[in-house]
Amino acid sequence: MDAPTTLASPPESRGLRWAIDAVRVFAPFAAALLVGAIILWATGRNAIETYRLLAHYSLGDWSAITNTLADATPLMLTGLATAFAFRAGVFNVGVEGSLYLGAFAAAWVGFTFVHVTSIPLIAAALALAAVAGALVALIPALLKVLWSVDEVVTTLMFNFVVIGVTSYLVNGPYLSIGTANSMSPLVANQAELPSLSPPSQMTAGILIAAGTALAFWFVYARTTIGYELRTVGANRRFATASGISFGRAILVAMVVSGLIGGLAGGIQILGVNHRFIDHFSPGYGFTGIAVALLGRNTALGCVLAAIFFGALANGGSTVQLFTNIPLELISVLQGTVMIFAVIQLGRARGGRG
Amino acid sequence: MNFATTMSSAVELSTPLVLAALGGLINFRGGIVNIGLEGEMLAGAFVAVLVSWKTGDPWLATLAAAGAGGLVAVPFTLVITRLRANEIIVGLGLNVLVAGLIGYLLPVVFNVYGALNPENLRSLPHVRIPLVADVPVLGTIVSNKTPLTYIALVSIPLVGWALRRTTWGVRLRAAGENPEAARAAGIRPLLWRDVSSGVAGIFAGAAGAQLSIGIVSLFTVGMTAGRGFIALAAFFFGAARPWPTAAAAFLFGLVDAIQVRLPGSALPPQIVDTLPYIAVIVALTALGIVRTRRGGRAGMV
Repeated sequence: MDAPTTLASPPESRGLRWAIDAVRVFAPFAAALLVGAIILWATGRNAIETYRLLAHYSLGDWSAITNTLADATPLMLTGLATAFAFRAGVFNVGVEGSLYLGAFAAAWVGFTFVHVTSIPLIAAALALAAVAGALVALIPALLKVLWSVDEVVTTLMFNFVVIGVTSYLVNGPYLSIGTANSMSPLVANQAELPSLSPPSQMTAGILIAAGTALAFWFVYARTTIGYELRTVGANRRFATASGISFGRAILVAMVVSGLIGGLAGGIQILGVNHRFIDHFSPGYGFTGIAVALLGRNTALGCVLAAIFFGALANGGSTVQLFTNIPLELISVLQGTVMIFAVIQLGRARGGRG
Repeated sequence: MNFATTMSSAVELSTPLVLAALGGLINFRGGIVNIGLEGEMLAGAFVAVLVSWKTGDPWLATLAAAGAGGLVAVPFTLVITRLRANEIIVGLGLNVLVAGLIGYLLPVVFNVYGALNPENLRSLPHVRIPLVADVPVLGTIVSNKTPLTYIALVSIPLVGWALRRTTWGVRLRAAGENPEAARAAGIRPLLWRDVSSGVAGIFAGAAGAQLSIGIVSLFTVGMTAGRGFIALAAFFFGAARPWPTAAAAFLFGLVDAIQVRLPGSALPPQIVDTLPYIAVIVALTALGIVRTRRGGRAGMV
């Protein structure tokens, strides 16, 4: 598989490119809503009413909005993590693994150093979470740089390895005494991220996610390394010819991607779960791929796409409570978005992500 | 732990892995890495229970399961070949979509959550092989399995032969290895890629039937439990050749069988579960090292 070659694609008029971009962003939404509507109608449900309820319960009032933002927080980070690698042409589908190890690392700091005061404890937990996430991404990155081992398969497989290892950790050495389920002890009270709008679970984590988005934008738009990553992502041969180290770019892209993925896990633990629970993630890392694709690998795009998926998750669970429409409908929409976000419209551009 | 019964259980448990891995292998040779095997398998498992329940015919149910897998493969492959979508993302999306659709239908249409367990569900018969069945040990291991086990076994050499010796197989491989050359030779590469996806879907669907009306007789939403990814691991580990792929699939099934029978063994079960995935990473790395040393282009994909 070759890296996307957008730089080499023929020039198009500004208007046409804008139109193609608009179609690219809205086609997945439209396709998902259409598929969802067909399924709802085929099973005797009112699609328009369902979508109206989804919108109402996810964005209708302040409490709905805060819950949507709470659900969007991990997705924003996993989306940014994925996009950071994708933009450099590195196909990291292992953010779920980074998230898991990061989550465990944060929980471990939180329940081990219980006498440390709040700010240093939270900072240490999140820092270790990020490092743990980066470690997960480092191995496939090294394999790719040293021996050209394709990162798609290795990062995908590492997800399952890390999920298994963390599952072992909370079923064996770190199993909380006196709980029936496989979970770690609770983190110390002062390690919990404060809610910004109680009783919602919208914590200070959303601010960290927003800050990460800002940093993402800054790195890619304003720094030399960001330029190098973009160039490698757009055209590897051109990048190498202009003296950019391919290996260094891959390592940086993967490690930063892993850092953000680990941070996502840490924030979810300190903000929402307050302990590590076996198999706790409903696929935040995989949904992050959809977020990155829908957000076209840009910082702002990821933030907006994460809010969209957060709204679906939050609205969907409320709709399930009040109507007889199962939450799984949201998975249908999400899967369809993923599929249609990667179709290539217009002329062939050779992109792969 | 009894050797014969453990091996017997390994044969049963590896049957869906062998079937799905062979499907994935065909798809891979046709030029597509199929991450959607998991979803195709789940669709097969669901439809098998549904059809066996409604018709009382487990054979028809198995055919329907294979058909369902093939049907799920149609949008999967068309989006990839005709709309040039990334195969990895489409596969991951397909898995989410299929699991979501089945999870939605269970309560809405069948009024149950998470599992479909109809009364008197007819599962696949276990076939007693005359003469072999009476041989000690071997009889226990080989005889008294579902027809799908024997179909899987026969499929191993058949797939190899079909890919190597038949016109269809050659065209399919040409489409996968060098689409431009294939087109120049008058072969329609996209069509053959679609065919390889369809065949993979049929295999994965049949694998699903083995899970839901072969090994047990019920459907649960978590039934495939990552087996589609283990099948993927098997054909990567087997370098996309039928016998090594099937051997890897059998090995993974054997590990599963030992684990079921030997709780509290030396390795914790959660770690044992990661072995297929570690095996693939190790295999791909070894391949990469060898290719780098030879100075060739590395990476299988």
